[in-house]
Amino acid sequence: MAPLVQIENLRKEFANVRALDGVSFVVQAGEWIAIMGPSGSGKTTLINILGGLDTPTSGRAIVDGTDVARLDENGLARFRAEKIGFVFQQFHLVPYLTALENVMLAQYFHSTTDEGEAREALGRVGLTDRVEHLPGQLSGGEQQRVAVARALINHPKLILADEPTGNLDEANEGIVLKLLRELHAEGHTILMVTHAASIGQLADRRIDLAHGRLATEHAARRV
Amino acid sequence: MFPRLLWKLLRSNRGRLAVALVAVISGATVISALLNVQFDISRKLTQEFQMLGPNLVIAPPGRMQTQNAGAASAPLMDEATVAGQIARTRTPALISAAPYLYIVARVADTPVVVAGTQLGEAEILNPTWKQETGFPRYLPATRARPLDACIVGRNVARQLKLAPGGPLELKYLNRTAAMTVWSILDSGGAEDNQIFADLTVVQTLAGMKGQIQVEQLRVNGTSSAISAYAASLSKSLPGYDVRPVRAVSEAEGNLLNRTRLLILSMILLILVLTALCVLATMAALAMERRADVGLMKALGGTISRIVGLFLAEVGVLGAVGGLIGCVAGLALAQWMGRQVFGTPITPRWEIFPLTIAMMVVVSMAGALPLRTLGKIKPAVILRGE
Repeated sequence: MAPLVQIENLRKEFANVRALDGVSFVVQAGEWIAIMGPSGSGKTTLINILGGLDTPTSGRAIVDGTDVARLDENGLARFRAEKIGFVFQQFHLVPYLTALENVMLAQYFHSTTDEGEAREALGRVGLTDRVEHLPGQLSGGEQQRVAVARALINHPKLILADEPTGNLDEANEGIVLKLLRELHAEGHTILMVTHAASIGQLADRRIDLAHGRLATEHAARRV
Repeated sequence: MFPRLLWKLLRSNRGRLAVALVAVISGATVISALLNVQFDISRKLTQEFQMLGPNLVIAPPGRMQTQNAGAASAPLMDEATVAGQIARTRTPALISAAPYLYIVARVADTPVVVAGTQLGEAEILNPTWKQETGFPRYLPATRARPLDACIVGRNVARQLKLAPGGPLELKYLNRTAAMTVWSILDSGGAEDNQIFADLTVVQTLAGMKGQIQVEQLRVNGTSSAISAYAASLSKSLPGYDVRPVRAVSEAEGNLLNRTRLLILSMILLILVLTALCVLATMAALAMERRADVGLMKALGGTISRIVGLFLAEVGVLGAVGGLIGCVAGLALAQWMGRQVFGTPITPRWEIFPLTIAMMVVVSMAGALPLRTLGKIKPAVILRGE
């Protein structure tokens, strides 16, 4: 079976800085990968390229058969809408839309909106009674759960999570990680950037980056 | 979802959008008022122009004049022929037509120019005439005025010591006509030295039944419209000179054209100013929305769909501002009409869609800074830069 993600000799340069320097690896469908490494090692750049938010300087990043580097602006938008679910460290919810509308926004850009389905997604992350609240009225953990619901609503092939618990307290971190574990158990493919070794150990496999290069790649010890 | 998003966008930036809305409402108010004036100005100015007197003259060939010749020996026209052709070519723009026959008669041995005309028509042709009558009530209808009534110019009345209601005997050759002074005329012009009497009375006195020297008309419209009417009348009256009174009709046309040009220039200026005001607001708004746009792009929104959302917001702003401005403009137009012309402007409902459409287009033009949103890189925005 072809891997869901295939990265070959990926390079990315910003002005004189080489953020990624010949990274190659594959991810099978259903895998949970933790991408780890110190600040400036290229973790977020890698996630951005895989999510079609950025383009590589050279090399290939193939996701579900699509070479991201070959897509134009509209092609990238379609790719992000159909194949990727993002969970960001800063949540990135639209402040003037309710939790429900934030989830429906992803539906809107994907195809058509279905309020029932959006409510269901929020129910799944435990926010049934918070759907009409604005992000400002939600705690950090609740906001991140809205972001998870939004990432799942279009049934993406790949969930990209960039430090999803970086801004959360211990209790909320536990809730979000439990959700990720459930998603993984259901067969979702997750690529998660994290600093915390304890969180990285939850993944099937850990990829360590250093100075834009693949440092080590090994199976994590499942906790 | 689109209307829901649109509503949330409008609500989320109501402070900033209120500034743009005030600009659009102000622009629409003035533009709507000016357009109302522009559409009504032709009618209003025509009413004002009527004060200028006749603007079209029919005369025998080689004798073009508007006032008296002072002699009955001048070339003559057949009254019935001229009246018949005027009736045949009659247009709603024709306000009045008065035939004139001038003779120099004697009143108590003093020679006086007597103009035979249809007094009622002459009064319509010359609305600035001020008449002083001794009768308890002024009877404006021609029928109410007896045939022997005459209007005496102020200077003639002073010289001959005539007063309203007094008798007056006109002598021409060996014929006489007993008249009654109906009123004393103060025109401020040559008419103050004349006596105006019924045309048939003067024709009988001069022995020129059915003859006139000149026909004066007042036709409403632009200079070219008056010339066109003159040309059609000229075809019906071959052998006669039918000519607009150039100075009057050209002055009317020029004034109308300049006023229209002024109004259109002001409308253009206001449109530009409104667009600049919307532009300033939208430039600030585009900066504020960089994060939203970056996120929307990350979620798979195409730039056309995202900018379309913001343009719809600007369109709503233009339409609402335009509508409110139209209503306010109507009130402003009424006020302007009363101040300038003394009567309110007649509202033109077609101005509503026209103004609203202009405001929507201007708002869209002012939304040009939103184009910069297309260049936003979601990765950069999401990094918090």
